[in-house]
Amino acid sequence: MDKLLRNKKAIIIFMAPGIILFTVILFIPIVQSVIYSLCEYEATSLTGPKFVGLKNYAALLKDDTFLIALKNSLFFLIFSCVTQLVMGLFFAGLLTNIDKGRNLFKNIIYLPCVLSSAALGLLWMFIFSPKFGINKLIETLGVTDFVKNGPLWLMDTKGFIVLPMWVIGFVSLWQYVGQSMMLYMAQISGISKSLYEASYIDGCSKAKSFRYITLPLIRPMVATAMSLNAIGSLKFFDLVFNMTEGGPNHRTEVLATHLYTQGFKYNHFGYSSAIGVVLLILCLITTGFINKVVKTEQYEM
Amino acid sequence: MKRKILATLLSAFMAASLFTGCGSSSSGTTSADGVEEITFMFWDDLNATEDLISLGYKDTIDRFNKDYEGKYHVNVVTTNLEEYYTKLNAEIQGGKAPDVFICSPGPQLSDYVIPGGCAPADGLCMNLDEYLAQDGWKDTFTSDAVFSQQTYDGSVYAIPLNTAAACCFYNTEMFEAAGAKVPTNWDEMLDACEKLEAAGYTPVTVSGGTAWCLSMIAGYLCESEGVDLAALADGTASWEDGKLESACNKLLELSKYFQPTAVGDTNDVATANFYNEEAAILIQGSWAIGQINGSAPEFESKCGVFQFPGVDRIIAKSDSLCVSKDTASPEACVALLKYFTDDTAQKYTAEVGGKIPVTNVEYDASKAPAQLSYVMDVFSNAKGTFGFYNESMPTTETGAYFDDEMVAVFLGDKTPAEAAADMEAYYNENCRQ
Repeated sequence: MDKLLRNKKAIIIFMAPGIILFTVILFIPIVQSVIYSLCEYEATSLTGPKFVGLKNYAALLKDDTFLIALKNSLFFLIFSCVTQLVMGLFFAGLLTNIDKGRNLFKNIIYLPCVLSSAALGLLWMFIFSPKFGINKLIETLGVTDFVKNGPLWLMDTKGFIVLPMWVIGFVSLWQYVGQSMMLYMAQISGISKSLYEASYIDGCSKAKSFRYITLPLIRPMVATAMSLNAIGSLKFFDLVFNMTEGGPNHRTEVLATHLYTQGFKYNHFGYSSAIGVVLLILCLITTGFINKVVKTEQYEM
Repeated sequence: MKRKILATLLSAFMAASLFTGCGSSSSGTTSADGVEEITFMFWDDLNATEDLISLGYKDTIDRFNKDYEGKYHVNVVTTNLEEYYTKLNAEIQGGKAPDVFICSPGPQLSDYVIPGGCAPADGLCMNLDEYLAQDGWKDTFTSDAVFSQQTYDGSVYAIPLNTAAACCFYNTEMFEAAGAKVPTNWDEMLDACEKLEAAGYTPVTVSGGTAWCLSMIAGYLCESEGVDLAALADGTASWEDGKLESACNKLLELSKYFQPTAVGDTNDVATANFYNEEAAILIQGSWAIGQINGSAPEFESKCGVFQFPGVDRIIAKSDSLCVSKDTASPEACVALLKYFTDDTAQKYTAEVGGKIPVTNVEYDASKAPAQLSYVMDVFSNAKGTFGFYNESMPTTETGAYFDDEMVAVFLGDKTPAEAAADMEAYYNENCRQ
């Protein structure tokens, strides 16, 4: 191994595919997006990209839809990180402590992760449709006129964070909690049983051993899972697009849907690149923040 | 070893599949057996639709493919209406413009005709003057006026297929039961809605989820208040002159009678509310006749039509077909266009689809949907036509902005005065020199 590591040619050959791929499909497009975000660039325009400095960023601040999208994306970020952490840990703690049916429940909870978000979005859109789905079910159970007077799950426009955003947040939690759960379960199963046994001998309850042994030892995974959740929720697109298309009247727009609309509906490539750059910066700040706050010392387990 | 070979083959296949989208344009190609293949892009799924007009288009294409078997063949690319222009633009930007595609007249068509919008530097649509002049094709149309929205600098760049007018469709049984009269002015409209509501019916079904539906009503109300779009575009009039404000106030008056889910209902859902007899009035283009009769044939006898009250002119538009000027098979494309405007297709348009034909075809009025004759009456009594508001503004985006403003007023997010001020500011910033 040492001999191999001294061979510079071998190092270059082994690293080249990764570096080339990273450069071609990630680094160059990011740099290109940053450049375009400083340009007025309409698709197929005769002049091509025209440098305009920070004009697109100034326009973003005056764009009501962008501000709604930013608010919704930040809401989604906080909602996803908190709920997925709590529910993921809850399911992971629960399933690692049961013997019967562990795999069954693990698969049931993880199943939505592998299904198409587009199909799930449509499915949930029908479930929350005011005329059938939940409202109809509740009316069938005896609540009179619930179809007529019940909540407009995906259409309500009142409040700072509108009801449809909470609904989409719930659906996203349902879909992706299995992923957080699996990550936590993997980390928990790596904790030595002798630590728990020692704690029980010292008089710890299961709750206390979870608090004082499990939680500290899975902190590195908490940071990883939260970072993944944060990035996933900031660039969230598919469920929003399929359940509300950003409506009613842009109230459920998130950064990714606004980027899509500006880029592919109105062909404002420069402007949508600026939204993309804001998204990138938000992802970097959030990931940095999580890694700073959640200390990730590795313990010998 | 077997595993390694399998893994290598799979990797190679995956890598190859990554590049499948990188091929050159497939438009207007000639297959090995000498058949010229052309693509036709359309905004409805022709195999799944119940819309009678779309089904008529499917028949026309089938007829064309059969008649020209061995010579030409049309491949249809379909999408839904909401995503149509996004996908069309993506195809164009990817250098794969379809040979023939459907388009609404107005700024959307302008985007493809005038260089610099969605069109490449030298424009996208083929000039059809030469073909229209051949074999007396142009003489088959009712008049040159049918090409007015498809003409740029004196040349025709798209072929209209039919004409539709935005009207008020109503449920005659509900009106009778509620003792409501067909309204002829705004007060009578509100009175009819009041009576319908008192009788336990939802007076009006409208889509706020599909913003242009609501903005179409706003367009009529603006017309009734005398809004002049041309003067607004050149800056000789202001959105803040009180006319838009009055129109918005009327919209708010009418919105009290909308179905409770209007804010999020899509166009299809709002139309279904009408033919499923959950609401008494649907304000929609006459293209909805095909959808209504296709989905609920028994409803035809109960469906009446009246002109939007308080206006002299009506909103009219036509589906139009464009040909990409880069097509390798212009003759095949034009032959297809001729099939869409031949007697068989135009007869179907009137007799089954319920739209007004654009050619001088003679059709059996008794076979046509009952609603078509009502629409024709509305058309003949109107003092003129005008385009959809969102399609008559300087750019597609301006139209979308107007739609959003009208929905915002309806939702109570903005007052009519704020909407007027926003429109004025938007025009100053984006539309006026």
